[in-house]
Amino acid sequence: MSLIRYIARRLLYMVPLLLGISIISFITMYAAGDPITIITMGKPTITEAQRQAIRIYYGLDKPVPVQYLNWLVNILKGDFGKSFTYGGQPVRLLIEQWFWPTVELQLISILLAVALSIPIGIMSAKNQYSKRDITVTSIALFGVSMPTFWLGVILIIAFSYNLGWLPSAGAVGAPYLWPLFGIENPTLDHLAHLILPVTVLTYVSLAQNVRLVRANMLEVLRSDYILAARASGLSERLVIYKHALRNSITPVITYLGLSLGAVVGGAPMTEYVFNWPGLGRRFVDAAMNLDFPLIMGITMIITIMTLVANLIVDISYAFIDPRIRVE
Amino acid sequence: MTKQEKTKAETASRRSASQWAVAWRRFKRNRAGVAGLIMVSALVFIAIFHNLLALYPARPDPKAFTPFYKGDTAKPPSANYPFGTSAIGTDVFSDVIHGSVYAIYVGVLVTVITMGLAIVVGAIAGYFGKWVDNILMRITEIFLVFPSLLLILVFVRIFSISAGGGSWQFLGITVPPGLTIVIFILGVFNWASNARMVRGEFLRVREMEFVQAEKALGASNWRIIFRHVLPNILSSIIVVATLTIAYAILLEAAVSFLGFGDPNTITWGQILQENFSEMRTVWWAEFFPGLAILFSVFGFNLLGDGLSDALNPRLRE
Repeated sequence: MSLIRYIARRLLYMVPLLLGISIISFITMYAAGDPITIITMGKPTITEAQRQAIRIYYGLDKPVPVQYLNWLVNILKGDFGKSFTYGGQPVRLLIEQWFWPTVELQLISILLAVALSIPIGIMSAKNQYSKRDITVTSIALFGVSMPTFWLGVILIIAFSYNLGWLPSAGAVGAPYLWPLFGIENPTLDHLAHLILPVTVLTYVSLAQNVRLVRANMLEVLRSDYILAARASGLSERLVIYKHALRNSITPVITYLGLSLGAVVGGAPMTEYVFNWPGLGRRFVDAAMNLDFPLIMGITMIITIMTLVANLIVDISYAFIDPRIRVE
Repeated sequence: MTKQEKTKAETASRRSASQWAVAWRRFKRNRAGVAGLIMVSALVFIAIFHNLLALYPARPDPKAFTPFYKGDTAKPPSANYPFGTSAIGTDVFSDVIHGSVYAIYVGVLVTVITMGLAIVVGAIAGYFGKWVDNILMRITEIFLVFPSLLLILVFVRIFSISAGGGSWQFLGITVPPGLTIVIFILGVFNWASNARMVRGEFLRVREMEFVQAEKALGASNWRIIFRHVLPNILSSIIVVATLTIAYAILLEAAVSFLGFGDPNTITWGQILQENFSEMRTVWWAEFFPGLAILFSVFGFNLLGDGLSDALNPRLRE
């Protein structure tokens, strides 16, 4: 019962946050001045009547507060408006088209990163300041310092251009892009396209995760209850994997929640370098063209996903740790 | 000044000096931290003496395109061009050397803005608590939830279209207004997590006995914040600021790489952007600028981690 009330409270609490964010993203459109000048940029011969027609098409003829309310109500109905570019197609259609490639890329990388980071982080913390620990922490810090896009560029130069092993761009390709095995299998081809971007994304988030797991494990291993567990003669394996692990992975869950939200945002840089047909890549284009309906639509989707992921994280905390519910 | 006051002042200064001396001694033992310090010093050295180290002057000086006029566009690394020449006919080595100035400029300015905002918001929220804290933290949350890189791109694009104002000199390099716009936007979108940290530290220190004692003595809020709480959380602020410099350099490189930077500002990210479509032929023009970014960011991160270990010895054995 109290859990349901807790969830309801968290849901209510999301409403002002969402409203605030929607207002800010809407105002952004007017930060650049009249949107009509952006739509008609590069078309100096356009007549006033045509301008008016475009205004009506996008609903820009109404007062700004009315526009905002219309936009908000339409979002609740699942309509995100029409894009300024892409021939004025509905934003929702465009997002749906780019959504899955991004989710695929991100989910694989995040799951890989989490699965690898826990054992590596624990191993590193268990042997603090050993050679292995120092190697792991240095490689992890190196990963945190790595410009993602540059790593992608270097991998493309090495594995696509020099060795010719893997395709350099896109999600599917003409078979000649991948001459190594000469197999014309669409699934294998797609997998080959995934390898490089997944490597980049996994390495970067693995680096962050390992640092998190290690730091928290170190903290937990110093607490009294671990001392007690050890004093009562439990084996080291039991102490670490049963008692310490539980408390030390909560920050990983938090991180997972945040990154699940970011799944939709994609990693714009990685998608840009590998020309991945996902949301992140398209957002960069949308920002370049100042295609506000698309920008606002993607921003709202990412925000909602982030909030939902955070909610799931909070609820799972409440399951793991009943103390949180009381607060 | 009476004699008593004098000794008091002396002990105070001696005590605070020794606290930092202890941290320095601890820092010196940390090899990774020292390596970071050396890397950062090297970067600063290169930035100060960039005009002596580079082979060709910085753009927009037309002499920067000397390789182009000699017909040496897109040449691989050689004795004449240590890092090769770019697709548009500049010496990559010189571009990278001059780029260090921008890296420092971006890193420091973004961090000043970020930490300034973070300290103001975090201090007010953490110290005054109650509804003030509640409102400020809700605003902070909005900034945390926002997909910040994406919004940074949008804002950079909006403001660079209408960019005006003058450019000025920094260490002998022209800083166009476009870069300053990027810096402000990066600062404005990155303070939220640091503000949370500052707030947390304020909450912790606020409840300490010496602050309670000071309150009981009737000290003003400002006096408590500036004379008592802030000095006590200075070490955390220094650590976070160092890591923020690293992050800022990385973010600016990303913004420029994606093509949103000022094309007149030859930052490392901009060099990567200029040669991105030609990377198949001029791999050196992609490799070396990226290496410079990695070197600087790694240096600041190592330094930050080292400082964190030295100033916060709780996690040491």
